[in-house]
Amino acid sequence: MASLKRSLQSDDPYAANIASKVYVRSTKSGKVQKIVREVYLRTDIPCSSKLCRQCLDAAPRDAAGRRVGFVLSERPAGTKVYPQGHYLVPDTNAFLSAMDLFEHGSAFYDVVVLQIVLEELRNRSLPLYNRLVALTKSDEKRFYVFFNEFRLETYITRDDGETVNDRNDRAVRKAAKWYGQHLAKTQPGQAPAVVMLSNDRDNLRKAKLDGIPACSLAEYVGQLKDGEALLDMIPESQDRDITREKKPGESLYPEYFSMSKTMTGVKNGLLHQGIFNVSPYNYLEGSIRVPAFPKALLILGRENINRAIDGDVVVVEVLPKDQWKVPSTQVIEEESITKDENPDAEEGDNIVSQQERKALQEEVRRTHSKSSESLAQPTARVVGVIKRNWRQYVGHIDQSSVSQTGQQGRKQDSVFVIPMDKKIPKIRLRTRQVAELLGKRILIGIDAWDRSSRHPTGHFIRSLGELETKAAETEALLLEYDVQYRPFPKTVLDCLPKEGHDWKVPASTDDPGWRDREDLRDLLICSIDPIGCQDIDDALHSRPLANGNIEVGVHIADVSHFVKPNNAMDAEASIRATSVYLVDKRIDMLPMLLGTDLCSLKPYVERYAFSVIWEMNADADIVNARFTKSVIKSREAFSYEQAQLRVDDASQQDELTKSIRTLLALSRKLKQKRLDAGALSLSSPEVKVQMESETSDPIDVKLKKLLDTMSLVEEFMLLANTSVAAKIYSAFPQTAILRRHAAPPKTNFDELANQLRVKKGLELNVESSRALADSLDACVEPSEPFFNTLIRIMATRCMMSAEYFCSGTQAYPEFRHYGLASEIYTHFTSPIRRYADLVAHRQLAAAIEYEAVDPSVRSRGRLEAVCKNINVRHRNAQLAGRASIAYYVGQALRGKATDEDGFVMKIFSNGFVVLVPRFGIEGLIRLRDLADPEPQAEYDAETNTLTTSGSREVKVELFQKVRVRVTDQKDETTGKRGVKMELL
Amino acid sequence: MASTTQHALLSPAELAYLHASLSLTPPIRPDGRSATQFRPLAAETGILPGTNGSARICFADGTEAIVGVKAEVERTRRGDGGREDDGGELGGGGGGGGGLGSRLEGDFVEGLEGDFVEGLEGTVFLGAMLAEALLASGEFAKKLWINRRFHWKLYLDILLISPPLSYPLPLLSLTTHLALLATRLPRLKSEGDEDPFFDDDWAAAPYLYTRTKDGKATSRPPVSLLVMAVGNNIIFDPSKEELAVADVALAVSVGEETTKTDEEVDESSSSLGRNLRLLSVRTIDPPSRLTPPGVPNATNSAYGAAATTQKQPEARAAESEAVEGVWKAPRGGAKALVMAALVQKSLVRGGVADEVLDALDAVDLVA
Repeated sequence: MASLKRSLQSDDPYAANIASKVYVRSTKSGKVQKIVREVYLRTDIPCSSKLCRQCLDAAPRDAAGRRVGFVLSERPAGTKVYPQGHYLVPDTNAFLSAMDLFEHGSAFYDVVVLQIVLEELRNRSLPLYNRLVALTKSDEKRFYVFFNEFRLETYITRDDGETVNDRNDRAVRKAAKWYGQHLAKTQPGQAPAVVMLSNDRDNLRKAKLDGIPACSLAEYVGQLKDGEALLDMIPESQDRDITREKKPGESLYPEYFSMSKTMTGVKNGLLHQGIFNVSPYNYLEGSIRVPAFPKALLILGRENINRAIDGDVVVVEVLPKDQWKVPSTQVIEEESITKDENPDAEEGDNIVSQQERKALQEEVRRTHSKSSESLAQPTARVVGVIKRNWRQYVGHIDQSSVSQTGQQGRKQDSVFVIPMDKKIPKIRLRTRQVAELLGKRILIGIDAWDRSSRHPTGHFIRSLGELETKAAETEALLLEYDVQYRPFPKTVLDCLPKEGHDWKVPASTDDPGWRDREDLRDLLICSIDPIGCQDIDDALHSRPLANGNIEVGVHIADVSHFVKPNNAMDAEASIRATSVYLVDKRIDMLPMLLGTDLCSLKPYVERYAFSVIWEMNADADIVNARFTKSVIKSREAFSYEQAQLRVDDASQQDELTKSIRTLLALSRKLKQKRLDAGALSLSSPEVKVQMESETSDPIDVKLKKLLDTMSLVEEFMLLANTSVAAKIYSAFPQTAILRRHAAPPKTNFDELANQLRVKKGLELNVESSRALADSLDACVEPSEPFFNTLIRIMATRCMMSAEYFCSGTQAYPEFRHYGLASEIYTHFTSPIRRYADLVAHRQLAAAIEYEAVDPSVRSRGRLEAVCKNINVRHRNAQLAGRASIAYYVGQALRGKATDEDGFVMKIFSNGFVVLVPRFGIEGLIRLRDLADPEPQAEYDAETNTLTTSGSREVKVELFQKVRVRVTDQKDETTGKRGVKMELL
Repeated sequence: MASTTQHALLSPAELAYLHASLSLTPPIRPDGRSATQFRPLAAETGILPGTNGSARICFADGTEAIVGVKAEVERTRRGDGGREDDGGELGGGGGGGGGLGSRLEGDFVEGLEGDFVEGLEGTVFLGAMLAEALLASGEFAKKLWINRRFHWKLYLDILLISPPLSYPLPLLSLTTHLALLATRLPRLKSEGDEDPFFDDDWAAAPYLYTRTKDGKATSRPPVSLLVMAVGNNIIFDPSKEELAVADVALAVSVGEETTKTDEEVDESSSSLGRNLRLLSVRTIDPPSRLTPPGVPNATNSAYGAAATTQKQPEARAAESEAVEGVWKAPRGGAKALVMAALVQKSLVRGGVADEVLDALDAVDLVA
């Protein structure tokens, strides 16, 4: 009987080229499969070294007969140990732990990225994988992906009992060895060395046994000329792996459950999975929202938080009921409590320091003294981390943690870094450059958080510059909010029209650009924007019709004409998702040429536009609406102020002004309709920083004035968005890109409603948005006009945030925009600065049959991914903008002391938060700031009153108007500047 | 097809001759084998790389079977006996196993229903026989527990190429036996009753039937043998011609008695033979019963007998009497004595089953 088995015997000439891999795959749904893969091995995968003739001749060519260019330099840089030059072959751990090093500009050129390493990296960390892929694509770094798993000489099979990791390490060594031998043949005697980089001691040892040049990251960096600076970028924990044996049995934190145990628990509903959030006021209090409970679960104390960091996806276990607690009423700030810790100490004793314990003790006493069990919330503890969402953090070195010797020497020293984000715990960093880095904004990465270490350990990535310099602080903001601020790459710029700034609307209406475009050049169109606005998205017109109705048009920049789907520019824009406006800087979503010129609806020139044109009657009811691509010529670009002046000036009787007046009248009616339907007018403190024009140093802070013309533009934009939303939804019921604002859960308002009832005798009705709007209107205090705004600000914070979504993912009633009281809504009017609007443009164009539907705007999966990204980016952009204002407000106050009115927004048992409307800032006043020594205080949670006695006697109530002195202050210990408020 | 499968293509005279020669002491078999000798077969395992275990056995006449075993993780249903969806014919394993095993054993083996490619009506029955033997001892089901909440479900896919009426039960059983011996299940890494979590290294996957270091199985699945009796002779592994004259045909399933302490008995058992135990016996309706009877010369008109239609009843009566050298289809069941001898012969140390298992031991097992 002839055997049916595939013969891999030697008589087959190709036997060597076929191998197979067998492994077990466990799928998410719980299936377990044996997988057999055949591997066809080749000998024509090039080494890609420009030194190698042999590979160049053998390398496969594409259909046109072209070869792919070789990557690795013929004259690679040398080091002290490898003066003849060298190529690097890092293993997976090297990339995992020190990607920052590889991205560094001063070293790490000519790197061979093995396929097996790339694959392993992708499985371990997708963000790092993407960064590595970006590196392999960059020309200057010369990273080459070598498909070692398909090259005959470098393929290895797994040995019996060998773990996958060991096998892969062996594959790396094998590939490094082959490279070495291969190159030695090309240039006997003077070929560059092929150096394997690893931080795995065992791997290094085996490599040395095998005669492969290999070093640890630290050894390698030490050989470089300016290695000192790079040494700090080698992660702490990895470093320790080599230099120090771990001492067992010194665990401060409880161990995490095994993966399978947590997964089983979550499936059975015994454990809960969610995203861990830290309270902004109390670093020892976290919360997690899980589907199983209506309210968030509290996580109190270091031990329960168990090394989770804000943003991590964790699994928690609910604690028994006798451990349930009331959310903290105390401010606990990490920097003040853990001020004097010594970063060098091997904190063996316990996790919870004395001070922390004291702070928590207060809590417990308070909870016990009040027998209000009903207020207690379920608490939980973290038992496992599903996914770390660690990113790079901006921070600065805690001055008090620097030892005296560290100030001078080049010895490696441990210091604490205080991240800018208060929710992130301080990070222990080992560095040799303490002296240089003090007082600088620095970027760091977290490497690990061992059970035996109270704080996470991290490594230094780079310095952004001196604290409080504009460049450093701006970059810090952008990094912290993950804003893409690098210049647009060439591939994106290549997508721009070739004519550049000379591009014009074609003169001939026979040009393909004019196809299906309406000629609206004779309409009296104008734009109204903030002063200095360059990216003009929208313009308006109105004119009376013969039948007595009015025609109103909103014209939006036709960005989709210039940004075609699926090119590099589209991809870049979809990643950036939005333009980011900082006080002194704008980070564009689209290249300048488009944003401020070709798309921008500048006055006096012809521009492509996408127009929404309504016929309305005098009561602002829509008679009909239509959408069309068009060509317009704006007559004037007004600022809000200019437009306001012009409208108010009765002597102006030209057509343009009259049409603005018509629009204004209509907009008032539209607004009234909206308010009648229950639209909320919400509030957030908005201020504007005035800059000195020359130096752009902030000199003053102004509250933004509200003008009628702003409301005019807003109303018509809302109307256009709503009309477009209805249109694209009817055309694409499953895939329309829409924006919704979910009704907030009633419990969100519990606290505020209760406070209002107790303090002011006012009722907050949250039954519907209409009821809420009415009761907010009723929240007035005749003597204090700002009180209403204050309540609105606080109510706004109880709301959900609006989000983009794809219509197929929600039921129609869920489409509702709560704040605008609109059944359906989208964003259409700002395609220059928001990607969502661009997608809506494409969908609308397809809906009016102007162009074919692009697959990208009708694939639900893709749209969902797009929505997810733009929601995050949108939020980050807002936060970055606010942070920027806050920073500049602080700078404007520098060196001045002003007395201002403020309002108490929140009361803790050891302090209270004051909002100063004049500057739009909030500040915390602690008891110990009131007087020295710290006064005694009685906190009444029922009435939200804090009564102090002893060294200073004051009574502070919620909503109370107080007079505060606002100064800026630099905390000497932490080196952080902040606004300080004093109660007068 | 159906018409040709009904009968062996042997004339009554040939049948009679065959019957007579098989009734001799010792019997004379057409292919010259001794009564207890198996047909030579070729076997290999591990021929299907994508399966958890596979085997192939061929006879020289082209009869061939390929078995592939696929394992899937299944959530164990609580308390309902787990019987709804697996086809009734696999149940009825009887009281073996005990406890959890007996409640759920039907769940463990599936896929024996077969695709009736060849119109072989017997496949359902064959499948049932295989399952019955596997489940009879209860040992097999126990091996498939992952923990109290999950178990393995095995799918046995069988490709059988056999000529009609050859009754391929032994072939199937042996191939399945080998495939199961070669079957490996991924190594469990989770503990206790957690959702199972497995090692991704196939090389670390343990065998379903554990092995000693030198690759010998310490326990093994049962085998079913086909045995037939002609007169007082007991003949193993009958060919299809022999089956056509069987008085009785039995499928005997034999399992190896699991020894309490593997190490201790391992040495001795190889010298003494195995502790075999009878798991089940099924009588099979042999095709001989369907063969048309021969006509004695006395009643054959060609030989001058009066062939009148009126004499038909007498002719029938004459037919029922045994006439030396004239084929008559067997009637009635097996004699108790023959049965006893048959079972005894199968189980005795150094007997046929032992021999077969020894031979199978020689097959190199690769998954």
